Formats: sequence, C-alpha cells, structure tokens
Amino acid sequence: MDSEEEDFYYSSGDGEAEESAEGGGDELESDSATISHHRKNYTILKEEDIRKLHDGDISTVANVLSVSRGVACFLLCKNNWSLSTVYNEWFADDEKPLETVAKRKSGNQVCKICYESVVVENMLSVACGHLFCSDCWKTYISTSITKDGVGCLTLRCPEPSCKAPAGLDMAELLATADEKEKLNKYLIRSYIEGNRKRKWCPAPGCEFSVQFNSDGCDSYDVVCDCDYKFCWKCMEESHRPIDCETVEKWVKKSSCDGESATWILAYTKPCPKCHKSIEKNQGCNHMTCRCRHQFCWTCLASWNKHNQCNQYSVGKDVIEKRENAKLGLQRYAHYYDRWVSNDKSMKLALIDLSRARAEHVGLLVRVHGESEGQVKFVTEAWEQIVECRRVLKWTYAYGYYMDTDTTNSAKVSLFGYLQGQAESALERLHHSAEKEMEKFLKAECASKDFSDFRSKLAMLTGVTGNYFENLVSALENNLSEVQSSSDKSQTAKQEAHRNEEALI
Amino acid sequence: MASASQASLLLQKQLKDLCKNPVDGFSAGLLDESNLFEWSVTIIGPPDTLYEGGFFNAIMSFPQNYPNSPPTVRFTSEIWHPNVYSDGKVCISILHPPGDDPNGYELASERWSPVHTVESIVLSIISMLSSPNDESPANVEAAKEWRERRDDFKKKVSRCVRRSQEMM
Repeated sequence: MDSEEEDFYYSSGDGEAEESAEGGGDELESDSATISHHRKNYTILKEEDIRKLHDGDISTVANVLSVSRGVACFLLCKNNWSLSTVYNEWFADDEKPLETVAKRKSGNQVCKICYESVVVENMLSVACGHLFCSDCWKTYISTSITKDGVGCLTLRCPEPSCKAPAGLDMAELLATADEKEKLNKYLIRSYIEGNRKRKWCPAPGCEFSVQFNSDGCDSYDVVCDCDYKFCWKCMEESHRPIDCETVEKWVKKSSCDGESATWILAYTKPCPKCHKSIEKNQGCNHMTCRCRHQFCWTCLASWNKHNQCNQYSVGKDVIEKRENAKLGLQRYAHYYDRWVSNDKSMKLALIDLSRARAEHVGLLVRVHGESEGQVKFVTEAWEQIVECRRVLKWTYAYGYYMDTDTTNSAKVSLFGYLQGQAESALERLHHSAEKEMEKFLKAECASKDFSDFRSKLAMLTGVTGNYFENLVSALENNLSEVQSSSDKSQTAKQEAHRNEEALI
Repeated sequence: MASASQASLLLQKQLKDLCKNPVDGFSAGLLDESNLFEWSVTIIGPPDTLYEGGFFNAIMSFPQNYPNSPPTVRFTSEIWHPNVYSDGKVCISILHPPGDDPNGYELASERWSPVHTVESIVLSIISMLSSPNDESPANVEAAKEWRERRDDFKKKVSRCVRRSQEMM
C-alpha cells in the first residue's frame, strides 16, 4: 500500500520512463504521470483514435459475416458495439435483415416515394432489393441524418415492412460531405455512449473519452488528458479517500434540498391542525395560524385547552429533535464552508498550474538561465497543491459523516490531528508557491536565492505529499489503527513529528 | 427535386387518386381548396368496434418536406381514445419520425417512412380505433379506463359517437 501511495504523489523517474515508452509521451502526459499510477486501467481516446477503433470494428464484423460495412455498422449500433453480441445474435437469429425479397426487373418502374416512373438503372436499393429513385434515396438519407440523430445509423429501407439496414451504405454513396461529417460524429457518439466500457470525460468542454479496460480493479480514478481527474464509477470528480456513496450523499446534501429541510425543522414548527410550517417572528407564545387554529408555540397544544406547559411531559423529544437539528445545521455549516473553500482553492490552483506550465517555466528558464528540468519543481508544486486541495476537500465530507458516531473519540481525534497536520503543511506549500514565487518571476536575483527557493519548494512539496499520504491511507483504512492498538496512532503521530522536523 | 414542389405534386396526385377511387372507411379532401398541405378527413367508426356508427373529423397537416417527414393528424370531433391527446392530436408510431423513439426501431413497419400516403395513414388510424395501444398512451385517463373500467370507457365513447352523428 505504501509504495503504491508513493507512486501516487511523487513523480518517480521510472513511472515517467514507462509513460513515454507507451507512446505519445508528450509534456502533458508525463506530467499527469506524477499524479496517477493507474495509467494502465484505461486509455484516453481522442477523436481520431475513436474513428480508427470503430472503423476497425466495422471492418472486422463486415469481414467475418461477409456483409457490407453499412450492415456491420447497423448491427454494431444495435448491439452496443459488442462484437460477441453481434455474432451471437447473427447466428441465433434466422431472420437475417439481408435477404433479397424484391426481384430486379428491367425497364421502367414507379418509385413508391415520388410516384415517378423511372428507368430501373437509375434506381437504387439496399440488400433487400426494394427500388427507389436515387433522388428519393438522397432526401431520405439526408432527412434522417439531419433529423434522427444517432438513429440515422440504424436507418432501414423505406419500405414499411422491410428490415434491411440502409444507413451507412447509402450515406457513403449519396450524402454530401457535410452530412457525412455529421454521420461520423454520430458514429463516434454511438461508439462511446453505446458501450459500458467507454464514457466521455465529464469535464465541461472536454472532447476526450475514456475506455476503461479492466473490471474489478481497485482504483477507479481516471486522469483525462485535459487534466480533469474523475472517478469512473460515479463520474464525480475524484474523491479519494472517501467512497462514491459518501460523495453522493454529500453532493445531494449540499444541493440545498436536504439543507432547507433541516432549516425548516430547526426554525419552524408545523401547525398542529393544518401542518403548514410556521416561523415564529414575535414574542408571544399564543399563535394563530392562517387556518385560524390557535395553539401554544411551546407545547403545540390547542390554546383554549391550554393552561401551563412548564412541567416536563412526553412531548420533550420533539423539542430535543429540533435542538439537535439546529446543532446539526451548525455542524454541517462548519464542514461545508471548509469543503467549499478548498474547492475554490483547488480551482484557482488549477489555473495557477496551467499558468505555471504555459508561462512561468519558460520565464524562469529565461530569467535564471536554468534548464527546463531544473524549474520543473514549480509545476510539480502546483500539481501537488491541486491534488492535496482535492483530497483535503473530501476529508471534510469524511469528517462530517464520521463525527456523528461520537463514541469513537480516539478516531475522531486522530482524524483531526492528521487532517490538521496535512492542512497546515499544504498552507505553507501553497503560500510559498504563490507568494514567494513572485519575486523570482520578476527579475534576476542571486542564483543562490533561487536555488534555495528551489530546494525549499521541492521539500515542501515532498513533505506535504507525505502528510496527505498518511491522511489518505489512514482514512482509507477507516482509521483502523486506533482500534488495533492506540500505539499505532502514536506511531502515526511520531512519523508526523519527524516530517515536521524535516521542515525545520 | 425541390422538396416543396415534390410535396405538392405528391399530395395533388393522392387527392386525384382518392377522388377517382374512394377507399372504404373514410373520405378525404382539402380543407381549403388553395392549400394542398391541409387536409380534412372524415373517418367512419369501424364496424364491430366501440366507435361504430361515428363520423369523426380530423385535420391532417403536411410539412413542406413531406414525404420525408410525417404529417400531424388532429381530430376536430370529440373522441375518447388512449392514443389521442385531449386536444385531438393522434399519437401513433408511424407518425413519429424514427429518431423520436429512444427504444425504437424494433418494428421497422411502425416508424414513419416516405412511402406512407394519406390512405395508409388513415388506414393506420382506423386500425388504431379498433385496437388501442395502452402501453404508451397519449391520454392516460382513457388508457386507465380502457384497462380497468371498460364500462365507463364504453359509455364515454358512445357519447362521442352520438355527438359526432348530431354534428353531421
């Protein structure tokens, strides 16, 4: 586990070598290798890759079944682009969509769409043999491409009872260049969206897609070439160390519905008669609802029977529930604020990271006469910051859901300790990368200063990575160290102390 | 072929054919003699169905790119049927462009095809009257009644039939 973690946070020389050996090892890819070690579970597909892949699948099916490419494409679209399903269906189903049902005559024939009499030589059909004039075919295809969306790939012969596929073959013959381009876009869409192993990168504006290659592997984290990092399983942003279910719960909760419910519970009471929620905005406890029912705010009993309610009675749990809700709301606000602020920091850091890549590296090379390799520590620092902000953010969701079980105070305090350490290390790193960096961008300065800064920032990057590594592995083990023996949590603390010393 | 003129030629031809050789079960003509794209159709309630004896008027509106896109059909007579919206619009699969139905293309014969004519559309509507499809109803109330309280359904339909006779 530990070594895996290390790969996760540090740029290890080996990893990068592998990366470039895999091909396409350009600047961006080797950068993302610093963040992820699970490169082999998935492939990032760009448009031209997808074209090659679906073209390959279509050709394979066309060859194996000896059908036209259009029929192969039709079958693949219908069967989620799974070759084995296509073959199974094909050999199981006696009713092939290909049989020639209409005999070709010579001379003239009336086109059943436009009712013109046309020389048979000027008419077309797909495998079924139903003839229509080429003008009608053309509009048929073009209407389908403009109106049916992905459906144009599974277009059939216009003859109402005929099942023969007509889409791709006829389009290749008759469609305009624009229409063909559109059709190609739909092919790509169908190829990605039709199969469970492929998905679009969920980042806004990103046009890449991902093919996930192995099922049942331990990590679902995917780093797209656009730098967005997401979870394959739930398609939310990457959320280590917490699981998809907690993320879903948290996201739902923060999307306000749940929260206004808590607010209503905390600050209003339902009218005992019509059950509408009432917020008390005046001092007296004699309430008159809009439904004209009168009652006591404190005990909710009808006012005309009301005498006193100062003595304890069974209704107390209602009040307790309300108090709890009020406290719960405050607690939630605490975690939510921190989640939001780390989310914001992360997004800003992403901007800083791309600026560091695009401008600062070049600038530092020019100003300080260093090689690119020597100023790489800047981008590495920003990558670390982005990653840590994300992790930190999710640990606040973790904290919110963990705290509820207050019986385990040792876990709570270990979590608080690890999170606190990690957070302050990250603040130091973030500060240094943001503020101390500035003067080195502006003007030349003593090369010693710059090399001091380099070792400081690189060290902060490493140390922060360490802290977060501890935090993530502790949380992913559900802080089990506490249960097995309290010594271990001591060890964790000691280790953390060592890190701290390294800082000084 | 410019599509609007193709559409009018086709509709013109169908109008002529239908005048020369009327088809049992319905009559069709233009709503306004100068406009080939709006048809007025009277459908006779098919025998041995709940709609028997009724005369139901409908307007068929063709798009400029007919026959590449389907027309819409709307009953102007009151009609109670699972596949007719409360505003009279008819909802049958052959009037849907194939792209509409996300699970579609299962039955090739059920989608719109440029081969369809006024005649084949009206014949589909007549068959819809005799066998409602309550799986994807346009009028949920009617579908529920047809399934669960057939007597109430019958009563409503016969009222429509009576009214349609009075209007004639």
